[in-house]
Amino acid sequence: MNIINMLQSSDFTTLIPELFLGAIAFIMLFLGIKYKNPKLYSAMAFISLLIAIGLLLVFDSSVSQTYSGILQINDFGLFFAIIMIISSLYMVLPSTREVHEKPELFYATLLFVNIAMIVAAFSFNLIVIFIAFEGVSIGTYIMTAYGKSRRNLEAATKYFFTGTIATSFILFGSAFFYISAGTFNLQNVAALQSHSVLIALIFLFVGFGFKLALVPMHQWAIDAYDGSPNSVSAFLSTGTKVLAFLIILRIFLVGFSLESVDVYYLFIIISIITMTYGNIAAISETNLKRVFAYSSVAQAGYLILVLAVVGYNYSANANELAILAGMYYSLVYIFMKGGAFFSVGLVKKENAKIDDLSGLAWKSPAMAISIIVILISLAGVPPTAGFFAKYYLFLSLISGQLWWLAVIAIVNSAISVFYYLRLIVIMFRRDGDNQFDLSPSVYYPVAIAAIMMFALVALIYEFPTIQTYVLGLFGV
Amino acid sequence: MILMSIFILLILLTIISFFLKNRPWEFSMYSSLLILALTFFYAIIIFSSGYQGNIISNYSVGLVPSIGINFTTGASSLTLALLFLTTMIVPIGIYISRNQEFHGLFYGLMMLTEVGLFGLLISRNFIFFYIFWEAVIIPVFLLIAIYGGEKKETASLKFFIYTQLGSVFLLLSILTLFAFHYYYTPSHSFTLNMSSLLSSAFVSSSAIPVFWKYFIIFGFLFAFLVKMPSFPLHSWLPDAYNSAPYPVTVILAGGLSLMGGYGFFAILLPLSSIITSSVLWIIISLGIVSLVYFSLVAMMQTNLKKMLAFASAASMGFVNISLGVGIMETGAFGIQELTGGIYQILAHGLIIALLFATLFFIKAKTGKENIHSLGGIHREVPILSSIFLGGLLASLGLPGFAGFISEFSIVAASYYVLGPLIFLVIFGMIITASYHIWAAQRTLYGPFNETLGRLNDIGRHDIFAIGSLLVVILILGIYPNIIFGLLEKYVEVLL
Repeated sequence: MNIINMLQSSDFTTLIPELFLGAIAFIMLFLGIKYKNPKLYSAMAFISLLIAIGLLLVFDSSVSQTYSGILQINDFGLFFAIIMIISSLYMVLPSTREVHEKPELFYATLLFVNIAMIVAAFSFNLIVIFIAFEGVSIGTYIMTAYGKSRRNLEAATKYFFTGTIATSFILFGSAFFYISAGTFNLQNVAALQSHSVLIALIFLFVGFGFKLALVPMHQWAIDAYDGSPNSVSAFLSTGTKVLAFLIILRIFLVGFSLESVDVYYLFIIISIITMTYGNIAAISETNLKRVFAYSSVAQAGYLILVLAVVGYNYSANANELAILAGMYYSLVYIFMKGGAFFSVGLVKKENAKIDDLSGLAWKSPAMAISIIVILISLAGVPPTAGFFAKYYLFLSLISGQLWWLAVIAIVNSAISVFYYLRLIVIMFRRDGDNQFDLSPSVYYPVAIAAIMMFALVALIYEFPTIQTYVLGLFGV
Repeated sequence: MILMSIFILLILLTIISFFLKNRPWEFSMYSSLLILALTFFYAIIIFSSGYQGNIISNYSVGLVPSIGINFTTGASSLTLALLFLTTMIVPIGIYISRNQEFHGLFYGLMMLTEVGLFGLLISRNFIFFYIFWEAVIIPVFLLIAIYGGEKKETASLKFFIYTQLGSVFLLLSILTLFAFHYYYTPSHSFTLNMSSLLSSAFVSSSAIPVFWKYFIIFGFLFAFLVKMPSFPLHSWLPDAYNSAPYPVTVILAGGLSLMGGYGFFAILLPLSSIITSSVLWIIISLGIVSLVYFSLVAMMQTNLKKMLAFASAASMGFVNISLGVGIMETGAFGIQELTGGIYQILAHGLIIALLFATLFFIKAKTGKENIHSLGGIHREVPILSSIFLGGLLASLGLPGFAGFISEFSIVAASYYVLGPLIFLVIFGMIITASYHIWAAQRTLYGPFNETLGRLNDIGRHDIFAIGSLLVVILILGIYPNIIFGLLEKYVEVLL
């Protein structure tokens, strides 16, 4: 096969978005020799990510299997690929002021991370998933360390070490999966040998659970989110988490579909522990960013309820609803959590405490209203998008006859109201003489997140359409 | 259609009042009065042509019909009676916030509360019912958190968490009905329409397993009992009522307990075929405990605001009793019982709004709200204290006032079910009467507390505002049939 034929083959054209992003990333690295203005690179990254979405829609919209089933292009993968790019788009422009030197490296890394994310979104092979996931991890290790303070380096180091341990768990788990299934392909697993499958299940779960920051693998996340620049925390807690969620869905629901009972018990236990721990820890926390970090842990607990419903497998309708809820939740989550982390930037001090927000409502009512919208959306109060995400999640729990789990989740969401609403109360205090940073790189992300909390509600019009994507999780 | 137009007008007025820089009080006052007038005339027109007890003036806008989300509105005599209460107490609340230094935000939030209550009452689609249910909580939370008195932060958080816990159980019950209705319909279609989800053919069918029937009832009951508030879910009540500024207390007492009561008669009553008698006895006993316990607690209070807060909760105990007993009874007694319960929500809302509004003027004139610091103020402010006395007498259930009608019909009709337990109810009523009279005697009469100095009586406008409320209470007490008869028709259809 000559090279012209290769370039025209359908296998190759599906990779055009990735290749495009890679080319731009290398161009950035070359330009970096001469130009040092971060705004240039962030604009470049922004535009090329937008173009990448366009390319994805053009080249990856038709259902196909490429590279003998390793990558499977369908609407489900496309949905996740696009929302992960959106999570990068969301942080690209505001991040400029936190990138002080070598901006070309930061944005090129971001593009490389996006390439890995797109590949992972379509992949059905454990090894390809592993490599793509490592690509994302290594990229985010670099991005976390983009700051000079001691806390920052400490966070990056912690993230790096725990991440490496997680990687070894994934590798080990993959090996056991191979022993048990006889293949690295997640689809059409004919039989799983019982003596190694549980080891594979646990090891893969621990490895990917690290990235999703499930309790008890969450502690790195609290420190890493706390110590990183705000835009990087926003990206870490949204883009990479959504990726980890997608991979967990795919591995445990597709690869371990013969072991759905174990998957059900595992995720039920972990989701209850994660939700409860995240919420209770957030209540006693006074550091603003750590409150959001713990709330992000709790939100991951809600997300993996999807696996409990599908593992329990009561009815096809409930399973579809659950996955649909997971998709919508991921999209909403990007803006609500991202907006929350950006709002920390309002406080000018290092190490912002929750009391530092006091008086915000009187100094900048628009910001206060935006944060209120984001917070009530996190708490799941209508008519925000966060409510509809939870609504569909709980609906799927009820449809799947897991009423007691729904009660636990709902009591948890009522507990979480306390620490979200406490922030609102503090914002309305009059005694504060705090100064707030209302520069555009803080103002716009927060305002956009608040607008999205209403705009995304309109997406429920499209739910009947999105519901047809759901089966794409299980392959073409 | 007309009802929907009034609602949209209310939303527009609310949005304007948020952004108004000049004269926000005048604007929100006039607009809330306009809404009151429109609702009142709408009710007169619609009921003058005869009413059969069904849901009238249905109107539906399809938003996402494929998953059952439509904005459906409808009205019954229950709805309109409570709409009348809502639109009546919001102007009172706004009126007494006149001379305080509030901005557009305050009045906007007050109006937003009215939007929530109005939307809640006219919604016939569960998703909008839930959205408006929550839409009431947020402005009230903010009003307490921003404008509250001492301990406003804990009070507002406590209020929100309690009510949010109730709301999420409400959501669970709605979801359960929704999920089972999907399997129940042969075509597997989604609907959130209240009339279909609450139809007795569906709820009593075998499509819902027995366990889930209990689950549904529990969720609804929990949500409504928190709002009432009923024993033992009341601990947000003293803090929230005490910390909230008076205009908000008026809304809290009249409006939020209305939500619980409305839920009882609009949702639990249609579900009566699946409420077992053991659950009904739980509802009744919670009602009786609320009545007796809150009355005893109210008697111990030295702060008038707290006393009224507990008095309000105690009289909502009658609503519990009415629902529980009414479902167990049949025929004319059942109708009288349940109608009395609905009438109690209305009467209680009006009376407690009057009491808090009057207490606001007493606080404004004397600077005190403690029973011991007042005393003999009738000598100085005769008109104000007469109106306050009128409110207290209405609240204890004196014949001639609206509260008597409802309490009498509940007690009279309950005897056949409660038997000797009726003495507990009567005991509660006696305590209620005694502490009301005691409070009146210690604050209004007796020797004047000279440290208060010279006091001026309230002006003409104030007399008109709170006097009109007293007149309405008297009219409803002397000639109850204007509303009682209509409510009876609503209950008859559901029994």
